[in-house]
Amino acid sequence: MSVPLSQMLTVTTYVLGQRLRGRRRYPLVLMLEPLYRCNLACAGCGKIQYPAHILRKNLSVEQCLAAVEECGVPMVSIPGGEPLMYPDIGRLVKELVARRKYVYLCTNAILLKEKLEAGIFTPSKYLSFSVHLDGLREEHDETVCREGVYDQAVEAIREALRRGFRVTTNSTLFDGTSAIRMQMFFDEMMDLGVEGMMLSPGYSYAKAPDQEHFLRRQKTHELFSKMLENPKKRWKFNQSPLFLQFLMGKWDFECTPWGMPAYNIFGWQRPCYLLQEGYAASFKDLMEKTAWENYGHKSGNEKCKDCMVHCGYEATAVDFTFASFKGLKAAAQATLTGKL
Amino acid sequence: MTVQPEANLEGWNPEVGDATALAEVIERAFDYRGDVTIVRRDGSEIVGYLFNRDATVAQPFVQVFEQQGGLPLTVLYADIHTVRFTGRDTAAGNSYAAWLRSREAAKAARSAPDV
Repeated sequence: MSVPLSQMLTVTTYVLGQRLRGRRRYPLVLMLEPLYRCNLACAGCGKIQYPAHILRKNLSVEQCLAAVEECGVPMVSIPGGEPLMYPDIGRLVKELVARRKYVYLCTNAILLKEKLEAGIFTPSKYLSFSVHLDGLREEHDETVCREGVYDQAVEAIREALRRGFRVTTNSTLFDGTSAIRMQMFFDEMMDLGVEGMMLSPGYSYAKAPDQEHFLRRQKTHELFSKMLENPKKRWKFNQSPLFLQFLMGKWDFECTPWGMPAYNIFGWQRPCYLLQEGYAASFKDLMEKTAWENYGHKSGNEKCKDCMVHCGYEATAVDFTFASFKGLKAAAQATLTGKL
Repeated sequence: MTVQPEANLEGWNPEVGDATALAEVIERAFDYRGDVTIVRRDGSEIVGYLFNRDATVAQPFVQVFEQQGGLPLTVLYADIHTVRFTGRDTAAGNSYAAWLRSREAAKAARSAPDV
């Protein structure tokens, strides 16, 4: 695994602190969406289908920082929309880094080279560009519904690495994904020099244009098992090894919908990053007034039945690591040996 | 009240008869990815995106971003006569189907023999 030691220590201290305080429910990563605007319209995305006046809205930097402060997380992921279209992205990242938050700026990288050349970001151990790449050129350009995006992203990754930035990739996998082609993709990303890769099956957003290609549980197990059965030592994943093992069917985890809460122009999204069942005015309200028992695989909720997405289950994997000797041993073993 | 099928709410102008029906219309409006027109009991109208509602509190309310901009407005259920689905449903588009069609057309053009 490729998470830097300082980040690992920060997360470990934070999780142990929460557990020592007896907190059963705590957030790990804030999914901060300062805007819904995007320069792509991907087939599997259900995030950007809004009227134009909503797409023009931005959170202020102050609203973003207040949300980070309110939930107290050590890590902030900035998806969207496309965060590089957010007018104050440079100032937002600078402020978060100053607060020693580990920031994953999730971008399709179309604008990355331009922003790097404009000098709005400074390399830091706290900042990582998490570039969206759903596979090799053909597969990626198909999922983002535009040709040439893969090449643009690869060029931007090279430029970011050349300038000393941390770069990871995030890949959403759909039905029909070839395990062999993904393995070739892992090789290509390692050749490029990215720090690590993040993988997740896609979620079947009710509003996404393509409803036919979301993975169901059994197919997810099969795909991830095939893809990661004998991982090459050089493949680095920037995520919990237990989460990857869960995707392979080796663990039976339950969802932690509060683990990666989402804050956006509408407020605190209830109950999670993927489902939009309402908005809370405060993080406290979200945590205390959400009927959490209605969500997760075992709840029987139809919308949660096939979901195995990182925002629900990665926090579970991290918590499990520190909750038992079994979890700690399995995580340590996978980290040290590279075997999943 | 006849509730329209999910995929066909654009242009829907429901006649609301009682409180239960209003709650159902509001639920549909919350799920709708287009602007709506909220018709108040006093006859005034608000055009915008209804992004939140809470029917579980003592005074149930909706929250709306007006089309003309500004901070969100809160409107009580008790003040609402009906909600009309006046804006385009942005989730009903066929962008993926259009992409597939254009990609297939491009592939076919590439593989067509030169004349």
